[in-house]
Amino acid sequence: MTTPTAAPAVEIAGLSKSYPTGWMHRGRRTALADLTLSVPRGEVFGYLGPNGSGKTTTLKVLMGLLRADRGSARVLGEPHTARAWRYRAGYLPENPYLYDYLTPVEYLDYAGQLLGIAAVDRRGRAHRLLERVGLADAARVPMRRFSKGMLQRAGLAQALLNDPELVILDEPMTGLDPIGRHMVKELILELREQGRTVFFSTHILADAESLCDRVGLLRGGRLVTVGRLDEILRIDVDHLEVLLSGVDGALLDRLPGLKGRRALGERWSLQVEEASLAGLVKSVQQAGGRVLAVQPVRESLEEYFLRQVGGGTETGRPWEAA
Amino acid sequence: MGSSLSRVAAVAANTYRETVRERVLYNLVFFALLMMVSGLLMRQLSIRQDEKIIKDIGLAAMDVVGTLIAVFIGVGLVSKEIERRSLYPLLAKPLGRGEFIVGKFAGLGFTLLVNVAVMTAGLYLTLALTGRATDPNLLKAVYGIFLGLLLVVALALLFSTLTSAVIAAVGTAIVVVAGRFSDVIHNMKEVAPGAPSWLAPALYYLLPNFRDFDLKSRVVHFDPVPLSELGWITLYAALYLGFALGLALVAFRSRELV
Repeated sequence: MTTPTAAPAVEIAGLSKSYPTGWMHRGRRTALADLTLSVPRGEVFGYLGPNGSGKTTTLKVLMGLLRADRGSARVLGEPHTARAWRYRAGYLPENPYLYDYLTPVEYLDYAGQLLGIAAVDRRGRAHRLLERVGLADAARVPMRRFSKGMLQRAGLAQALLNDPELVILDEPMTGLDPIGRHMVKELILELREQGRTVFFSTHILADAESLCDRVGLLRGGRLVTVGRLDEILRIDVDHLEVLLSGVDGALLDRLPGLKGRRALGERWSLQVEEASLAGLVKSVQQAGGRVLAVQPVRESLEEYFLRQVGGGTETGRPWEAA
Repeated sequence: MGSSLSRVAAVAANTYRETVRERVLYNLVFFALLMMVSGLLMRQLSIRQDEKIIKDIGLAAMDVVGTLIAVFIGVGLVSKEIERRSLYPLLAKPLGRGEFIVGKFAGLGFTLLVNVAVMTAGLYLTLALTGRATDPNLLKAVYGIFLGLLLVVALALLFSTLTSAVIAAVGTAIVVVAGRFSDVIHNMKEVAPGAPSWLAPALYYLLPNFRDFDLKSRVVHFDPVPLSELGWITLYAALYLGFALGLALVAFRSRELV
């Protein structure tokens, strides 16, 4: 499905969007500021950011629900305002409401008609997808009886109905129980294996960390970072975790570049600045101790996220300051 | 890839299904049937006037109930979809906003057609049960009622694209009532001498003239209604529908779905 010459799945250039505010709509609140972003085909891209950072606004502009003030966007090689790419893409809005008087089968049939799927194929696809998202038993139950998680599953089914090349999901894990979240993760991984592009926004950073090829971090309508997780997080490797044995606490007080320490029985686990490693190893060996392990410690995505968006860096680790 | 017509038909079919599953529809149809039954009872009280009373009440019920359905379901056609965000996944598909508007109009229009057809059958049945002749001219009045209802749907749809369902209901009701009293507006100088001279003609030509569609009284009293007149009101309805739906489309296209 992915070809080397194919245009990116999503290409956004200088996109800005503001909303009117205040009396008589005379003020403007910036939701997106000069956003430039490209998502290659076949990639799982995680779009991260705190509430109000502009994630949903970006997706709505792409889908034509909102108009951008400035800038341009292309989806699957076509202008985002065009109709043709919509046959090849799927979209799940945040907290979808799907007509409560319809059953999921009826809803998917309606969605299939809008996508131009032949009547003979619609029913089969609907049942396969409902099976896939765990709604086979509720296929003929009016959606007014659905829980939030069930609606989310039905919403996912409609987003996948046309076997899309690109799937845009706005907070797909919202409202799902652990089984549902696992199902969505499996689905996203399946789509990646099939060479499809998944562009999803999420608050659940652990999911983004385990699923995404790349992530983009949005804050106040501006893209703070975009890149592969190992690229983003490597920047922040500023210390090593060193495991020692055969040394006492008095020696540790004299070690250079020590950021924190933790006693593990007769061993010590230390947080050490990368530049101080050589001196530390030498001092330990001179004191008759042994260096058992040295491991670079990266920030988790959550730590990185919190630091970038100003949410603090405390992680609750039981480290004793050196 | 599907055609524009098939997408419009899909939206229309879903709108029809929604209206059929709305309880308000059944309440109103029940109310209409009740009016017809009351007409049957009233004929006991008015010697030789029974046929006229049955026709009067039957046609009035059709008009009133149809208008209530057109207003109360029509004002939610777009605004409810926006408020509940059910529109978002649809517009992400290859569905144009114009196709959505036309589909919504056609769906509710078809609901009203079915409703009017059932009530017309009920009216003829009532007349047959009372041993009265089944006057085919009644269909001319029914046709006028149906055209008027389509206009109400278009107006409700227009308001629905602009504002919330409640405000849209008030706006539609004001225009419908004003349109039913277009003669009062025409003679505004006598009713309100202080009004600016341009206001009366402006309102008279801007608001839909629902009186032109009201053939009930003439049909009941066996006054002739020539087919050419039906042609003229059809043309007027078509032009006004085009105007109202065109405005609705412009308003909906410019609306941002925040």
